[in-house]
Amino acid sequence: MAEVAFRDIQKTYGKTKIIHGISFDIAEGEFVVLVGPSGCGKSTLLRMIAGLEEITEGEILIDGRVVNDLEAKDRDIAMVFQSYALYPHMTVRENMAFSLRLRDADPALTQERVNRSAKILNLDQLLDRFPRELSGGQRQRVAMGRAIVRDPKVFLFDEPLSNLDAKLRVAMRAEIKSLHHRLKTTTVYVTHDQIEAMTMADKIVVMHDGVIEQIGTPLDLFDAPANLFVAQFIGSPSMNVIKGQIASSQSGQTVARVAGLDWPITSALNVSAGKEVYYGVRPTDMYLTEPGQGIPAQVVVVEPTGAETELLVKVGDDTLTLVIQGRTHVKPEDTVHLGVKTEKVHLFDATSEKRI
Amino acid sequence: MKKLTLKGVATEAKLLLIGIPLLIWTLIPVYHLFLFSISTKDSATSGHLWPVHPTLQNFEFVLWQKHFYLNYFWIQMWNSVFIAVSVGFLTLLISTFAAFAISRLKVRGGRTVLNLALFTYFIPAAFLAVPMYKTMSQYGLLDNQWALILAMITIASPYSIWVLKQASDKLPLELDEAARMDGATPMQLFWMVYLPLMVPSLVAVGTYSLLLAWNEYLYAFLLLSKENTFTVGVALGNFLSADDSPWELLMTTGLIYALPPAAIYYTFKRYMVSGLTAGAVKS
Repeated sequence: MAEVAFRDIQKTYGKTKIIHGISFDIAEGEFVVLVGPSGCGKSTLLRMIAGLEEITEGEILIDGRVVNDLEAKDRDIAMVFQSYALYPHMTVRENMAFSLRLRDADPALTQERVNRSAKILNLDQLLDRFPRELSGGQRQRVAMGRAIVRDPKVFLFDEPLSNLDAKLRVAMRAEIKSLHHRLKTTTVYVTHDQIEAMTMADKIVVMHDGVIEQIGTPLDLFDAPANLFVAQFIGSPSMNVIKGQIASSQSGQTVARVAGLDWPITSALNVSAGKEVYYGVRPTDMYLTEPGQGIPAQVVVVEPTGAETELLVKVGDDTLTLVIQGRTHVKPEDTVHLGVKTEKVHLFDATSEKRI
Repeated sequence: MKKLTLKGVATEAKLLLIGIPLLIWTLIPVYHLFLFSISTKDSATSGHLWPVHPTLQNFEFVLWQKHFYLNYFWIQMWNSVFIAVSVGFLTLLISTFAAFAISRLKVRGGRTVLNLALFTYFIPAAFLAVPMYKTMSQYGLLDNQWALILAMITIASPYSIWVLKQASDKLPLELDEAARMDGATPMQLFWMVYLPLMVPSLVAVGTYSLLLAWNEYLYAFLLLSKENTFTVGVALGNFLSADDSPWELLMTTGLIYALPPAAIYYTFKRYMVSGLTAGAVKS
């Protein structure tokens, strides 16, 4: 177990700068997820921790020690690759024992550690098979086994679940999480899937275009996104965002006016009239209400998922999503009226896109 | 059973039309070789498709060195084996290291080295024969088998490096990265991960360079001149130096000389098909 710290990390390929000065700390035993769209620099950052990528500028510290010039093999870090990267000519047992063999570890000790790790990951029956004889999920587990046998200071995961089918992904997600709970090894996990980030992380680092947009616990990010990007990236279905202007309604309340319609705002938010804003509301924070009370909208698509129903509706030129509990009798092209949970509304400055 | 369609028949006919002449074209010389080797001296050129009195006498002549031209047959055979195996082994050694350095370690200037090596193929080997002869004579290697070995390595290496480089480019880079994370030095990576995965290509390249040396005539003829230093290939040529050539013995020796390559190819046939990397990464 170890702490990892980033001090103003930058990365340049030729003339293109892809990471623009990143600083943050990972506490001992923490499960941190780096999440962001592809090309945001999250994998590069992970590979820099691993020692597979040069650090152009700045420092990475593991347990207080600068590791910039340390070889990958001397950093005591284990990594699980997206493609698993198992050695095809070795059995599962040999794959898992490889790192210990390179360290000239005592064969009895190696054997014991391989067996223990295999037990944790349910691989005992597969130890003498070759990678080509395993299913995707099993290969994934062997890749994890190879990492935990070493008992490293830090685990790195580079999109480990993206090659698995949806059902297996959910199962492996839980497995990785319970593994972390059991081993308590500091973990850095890279994914582009915000659901993985939300469900697994102690702390999420949202990255975009080589900078950190926000760091926080999953629910912090969900409840109080620091800017428009995080607001739309975290949460599924993503947050509805419409552009409007702060105004006073006929009854004297502060509202966001979008194309002549008044969207309610909680009085706790202190905004001056005339200000241009992005008005954000999550699909679960809207509901259907009686005619004459809410905002009129036209239904486009109705998607029942059983426990809840997702509605795609059109208000003026904007298409919004709302999720309602249970079932509904509304049909496409019906006119419905939308209510909004005022205290759950998010406002963002129209120019800086920062949270108000 | 497959249904007989006009189109199917036409395709089959076209294939046979190409296949049968090709087969005849390939087999006739081999049959010719075989026919001569089981014929007596008198009947060899008689024009029959099968000798009137088939005999194995020619094989006895060759294997027991019972002819003037065959006095050094076994020494020459050993020379051929020694030269071919040395060329095969040394070419493999050089080209594997080179391919690993260029493809996996990404050594600076690696591509340039590869391109320069391949560029030598623009000059036909026959053009290089004279300069090569001069070079070897300056090194004092004329009539030394190492002259031929070095010359053949020079000719076989560029292609071997290129083939191995292409093959190692196909190995996923993550394997190297995983090995590095596991604590492997470049040398450990080479021996424990790279080489085992390259076996099919190594066998293919080894066989190629071995057979190239085994079949070489021009350089062997130029660089080696004593009867006890040259290869069976050159010795076969010498059969024709007299007016009255023992054709039946020439053909028998040729047949025997053609057997080891056939055996080598047959043995390693299955290695030529690669499939070892299956399961390394999700494809």
